[in-house]
Amino acid sequence: MNLIRAILLLIFLITPLKANTIYNLIKIPNLEIYEINTKNKLKYFYAARPFQLGTQKNIVCSNPNKKDLEIKYKIIHKNLNRYSYDYLKKINLKYIVMCKNLSISELYTAGIPDNIMKTLILDIKFNEKYFERVIHHEVFHIIHLQHKNIFNEDEWIEFNNFGFKYAECSTCTKNISLEKYQETDGFFTEYSKSTASEDMAEVYSHMIFLKKKEINQIRKFDPILNNKISYIENKIKEIDNSFTF
Amino acid sequence: MIKKIKASKSEKLIFIFLILLAITTFCTYFIVKNKCLFVKDVDPKDIIFKNPNNIAILNAPCGNIIIELYPDISPNAVQRFVTLIKSNAYENIAFHRVIENKLIQAGDLEFGKKGNLDYGKIGTGKSGLGTIKSEIDNDFNYTKGSVGLARTFKNDTEDSQFFIILQDEPLFEGEYTPVGKVLYGLEVLKKIKSDKRSEYILRPDFINSFKMLN
Repeated sequence: MNLIRAILLLIFLITPLKANTIYNLIKIPNLEIYEINTKNKLKYFYAARPFQLGTQKNIVCSNPNKKDLEIKYKIIHKNLNRYSYDYLKKINLKYIVMCKNLSISELYTAGIPDNIMKTLILDIKFNEKYFERVIHHEVFHIIHLQHKNIFNEDEWIEFNNFGFKYAECSTCTKNISLEKYQETDGFFTEYSKSTASEDMAEVYSHMIFLKKKEINQIRKFDPILNNKISYIENKIKEIDNSFTF
Repeated sequence: MIKKIKASKSEKLIFIFLILLAITTFCTYFIVKNKCLFVKDVDPKDIIFKNPNNIAILNAPCGNIIIELYPDISPNAVQRFVTLIKSNAYENIAFHRVIENKLIQAGDLEFGKKGNLDYGKIGTGKSGLGTIKSEIDNDFNYTKGSVGLARTFKNDTEDSQFFIILQDEPLFEGEYTPVGKVLYGLEVLKKIKSDKRSEYILRPDFINSFKMLN
């Protein structure tokens, strides 16, 4: 037994130190560079091997295959390219991590924003149908985390009809459809009704994703959404006056 | 009458072995042990610099490292760096964090001083001058030999600690405040004591002196 211990110790001692710049920067292991020379200076990484994060190791994500990565990178890059370097700096987003089957405590999720580490982890296999819009949804979470003082949830709740209550948390409800309502009535999707923060993110992502004409149409017929859209518009202007939806 | 005795084959082998052993011992003590033996030390007096006022000379165990500072890129950071250099604050300060062929970090004035090293706290020390704002907006390519100011996880926490990279690090751009680039002496830097198992160095090498050319 002692001999085995000694051998293990010897292996440990002769294992060379591997300094990993990406890990040192954002504290996520097993990542490699996908693209770092982008116009808005976003740096794209991908999981070369599965990784686990958090003190409980409850955030898990796998490595995607090359073909999926190639396809999804183009989509992610196209969508995030609409954000300028200055805007990204103000919202504190710099690193995009692409991986597959992202989950927190075994609950699958589209993305995990971390404004402190300037990082957004994206699941490239999450909900193909709404993938593009969800990218902006997750970007909003970064904005919200970075500017908590700007987005007041109590003010937001006031926009809803009297008596409406959000769920206790975003995963506390089974109504998580991302399909846009034909008749909106204050909410873009079923998922909007989960929490105020998710509702804001859904409004923001639709404002980015839908055509101006469509947004104007919604504003005309849905007074609640009209208020919510104006709110997001004004708050984003506070962060970056030059940003246009 | 004295009979001439011929050495046997095994005696000859022992003799050759002893000679080889002597050569090996000699090499170990006088060549291998001297890690600086084949390192070219550059004398700044032999060089004509374009901007002599922006030249700093760091003297490490194996010789001089000549650094050009970039006040146009990071004016506040360079000013802080020059203030500390001119006050000789970096003398006898440890190269406390060394990643072989990758990065060398020094400048902990509080816990990295020779004779007063604190291994438990090294890397967290302050200069007493307070922190300065990060200057990361200007374009700067972090190529081999680039010198930057170290910081904590947060921006605007730069103080006295600096690093020099020994390989290109494109991800450092926009993350760390650059202060300059090594013009001569990368080989000297590569000889600074490192440890394959740890970034933080036990019984580290020290900065002998750090001065401005003018």
